[in-house]
Amino acid sequence: MKKKRRCQMLALALTAAFLAAPMNAMADGDAANAESATLSAEGTEKTGAASADKKNAAASDGKKVTLRVCNWEEYIDLGDWDEEETIDLESGDIIGENPMVEDFQEWYRDTYGVDVEVEYSTFGTNEDLYNMLTLGDVYDLVCPSEYMFMKLMAEDQLVPLSDAFFDETDENNYYMRGISPYIRKVFEEHEIEGKPWSDFAAGYMWGITGIVYNPEVMSHEEASSWKVLSNPKFKRRVTVKDNVRDSYFAAVGAVKHDLLTSPEFINSPDYAKRLEEEMNDVSPETIQAVQDYLQDVRENAYSFETDSGKADMITGKVVANYQWSGDAVYSLDQAEEDDYILNFAVPEEATNIYFDGWVMLKAGIGEDSEKQHAAEAFINFLSRPDNVIRNMYYIGYTSVIAGGDDPRVFEYCDWCYGAEEDEEEEDVDEAEGEAEDSEEAEVAEADGEAEDEEDGEAADGEEASGTVEYPLGYFFSGDPADEDFILTTDEEQLQRQLGSQYPSEESISRSSIMIYFTAEQNEAINRMWINVRCFNILDVPVWVWILLGTAAVALVAGILGRKQWKKKYYGD
Amino acid sequence: MRLSRKTLGIPYAVFLLLFVAAPLLVLIYFAFTNGSGQFTLANFTGFFTDPNTLGTLFYSLCIAFVTTLVCLLIAYPTAYILARSRFRRSGVLIMLFVLPMWINFTLRITAMKEILTMIEGNLAYWPFLNSVIGMTYDFLPFMILPIYNTIVRLDDSLIEAAKDLGANDRSAFFRVTLPLSAPGILSGIAMVFLPAMTNYVVLDMLYNSTYIMGSLIGSYFSAYNWHGGSMIALILLAIICIFTLLTGGDEEDTRTGGTHL
Repeated sequence: MKKKRRCQMLALALTAAFLAAPMNAMADGDAANAESATLSAEGTEKTGAASADKKNAAASDGKKVTLRVCNWEEYIDLGDWDEEETIDLESGDIIGENPMVEDFQEWYRDTYGVDVEVEYSTFGTNEDLYNMLTLGDVYDLVCPSEYMFMKLMAEDQLVPLSDAFFDETDENNYYMRGISPYIRKVFEEHEIEGKPWSDFAAGYMWGITGIVYNPEVMSHEEASSWKVLSNPKFKRRVTVKDNVRDSYFAAVGAVKHDLLTSPEFINSPDYAKRLEEEMNDVSPETIQAVQDYLQDVRENAYSFETDSGKADMITGKVVANYQWSGDAVYSLDQAEEDDYILNFAVPEEATNIYFDGWVMLKAGIGEDSEKQHAAEAFINFLSRPDNVIRNMYYIGYTSVIAGGDDPRVFEYCDWCYGAEEDEEEEDVDEAEGEAEDSEEAEVAEADGEAEDEEDGEAADGEEASGTVEYPLGYFFSGDPADEDFILTTDEEQLQRQLGSQYPSEESISRSSIMIYFTAEQNEAINRMWINVRCFNILDVPVWVWILLGTAAVALVAGILGRKQWKKKYYGD
Repeated sequence: MRLSRKTLGIPYAVFLLLFVAAPLLVLIYFAFTNGSGQFTLANFTGFFTDPNTLGTLFYSLCIAFVTTLVCLLIAYPTAYILARSRFRRSGVLIMLFVLPMWINFTLRITAMKEILTMIEGNLAYWPFLNSVIGMTYDFLPFMILPIYNTIVRLDDSLIEAAKDLGANDRSAFFRVTLPLSAPGILSGIAMVFLPAMTNYVVLDMLYNSTYIMGSLIGSYFSAYNWHGGSMIALILLAIICIFTLLTGGDEEDTRTGGTHL
């Protein structure tokens, strides 16, 4: 008897453990943390040993700063590249040998003479990060998206960047010296509670949202609208992000399609401001409309995906996929390896521009100025053009750094997407060369931009058709017409990796950020999301209830009947 | 020092305290408080008045019920054949069934996904069916093993006795073997039914966009609503307790029922 009881207890405990299991799965990020924690532990062991040696030599400054950094998963170069992966730019080769974090520790010691130890960990979603912070994990430097650092700013959890950080005369201030004028403007113009983002946050990566699609099945026009998600022509062949904010943005775009694409709206003088207001509309009517729309999407889409969208796109299970630009670049690259061509479209209504930025936490940094110095140096080190390129190459997202005086970031862009003219192609296309094109190209060359030999040749009046000029001045110098930053590229690139990694100014013109909503607004949106995703019990048809009722009665009757039957046959 | 049973039990007791009792207390605390830490029943009433949460419970129960049923229908004959037949290497065979458990389950489900795509073409049209297939695949060993273990330990002489007393194969099975293997069936059900209600990873991977209890808890937590999420977890726990008590009560009966024969 006693044994039986114990078994029962055990079963209970076991099931409780099972119950907890999915919750563990939810805290995937934590698991990854633990992993990276051990990783960094290994790293620190090494540096620990190294500094132990040093200790005797420099006993006087044996001080060590520990910097706890928390970043997105797979969002930094981990080094260990193959020799073949070397990026051979005009201004020198770039290759990632060691993890970025180790390089930083070395650089900091060499530059400032202080040992710094970086404890690097990762998070999976902005919400995970926020939960980790509320549950008592302490970090000095974290890299959430704009709405999350806005939330942290509003909650007064952040330490402002120091004055020294903004000093552009300091050679080591790579961030301020290199940041794209466009991004800088965004960070200075957007405020929360009267404080501009730039006071607290230093950008890291940025991008827009759009649709990755298969051009053989879907036209560019069809893909260039958020309405593609509910387009019955592609029933069960489109995936959506399983993320309430992203889905909300897309749905608002689709619901307000007519307004957002009307000429009066686009040509209104305060278009950018109005667009931002419309896209961040959380009035009850809009939320209701979004809910109705997303319910349609749910019936029409292949799935709401967290991470499977890229793979499904590449393997051809779906023909369109709502994607962040950085991941779009990855999908396009991967597909290309199998000679499968995908394109990227920026919806005509609006696109969500997002920024991930480094912010310093009060809970971690506090008043510790040495730590703050190390944290800001970490941001600067990541903003050094060669490191920027390493990170971009490694993760596929776009850095906020344009390089300033350093030409390497633009060279990298050219290295990736500049038109490659090989002899054969040139011969074939020569006859079709357009005089206009070549003239422009010559101007570009005269200005000394086409530093690549091959490009130079191409520009000598033999410009092949199929190449276009892609002005990126808005990002690199702040002047959209800047001739120094016109990229000559294959025409098809406009709808491919280039168009997603460095969106055209035209795409950017209809970009809107998505602000951080108040607690009540958030609750309303989350409620809407649950309404979309949950099965409503009122949808259960009456016959099911009748069936269930009958089954229940039969079950009870059966159990009772069996007891009677047993008594009758066996007695006690 | 003498290693008594009590001292040997200490590690388990510590484990139980740290990883079962303590989280449970935290869960209860969150479930019955609101954002400002005051006692409230709002989370509880909220759950039972919201058609969406109730719908999710209903949907989870449906998935779990069908999965368990399918598992049982596959597992019992399998376990029975493996245990009763005179295969000399039935141990090896049972290992073959358990072998998939050695492979990471996301990997297995990914493979399953590809196979199903080959068969069905587009998975998105059959979300419920796919979820059940995925879960059955995932949980089948948990059903086979306990049933196999009870049947293999069954005393052959009981069946011989039943046959001596005039029972044919069919009634010997239904009146001796089946009742005696009930404990295995019950623990198999407990091992399958409850996880099937919460294992939303399978649904995610097989493109079922409807929330079940696990994903609902997740969505509450990612909206920083610890209190609502904890309440759902607690309600699940209550369901499990009721379930275990109900099935546990029946065990005694089947045992005596069998030996009486």
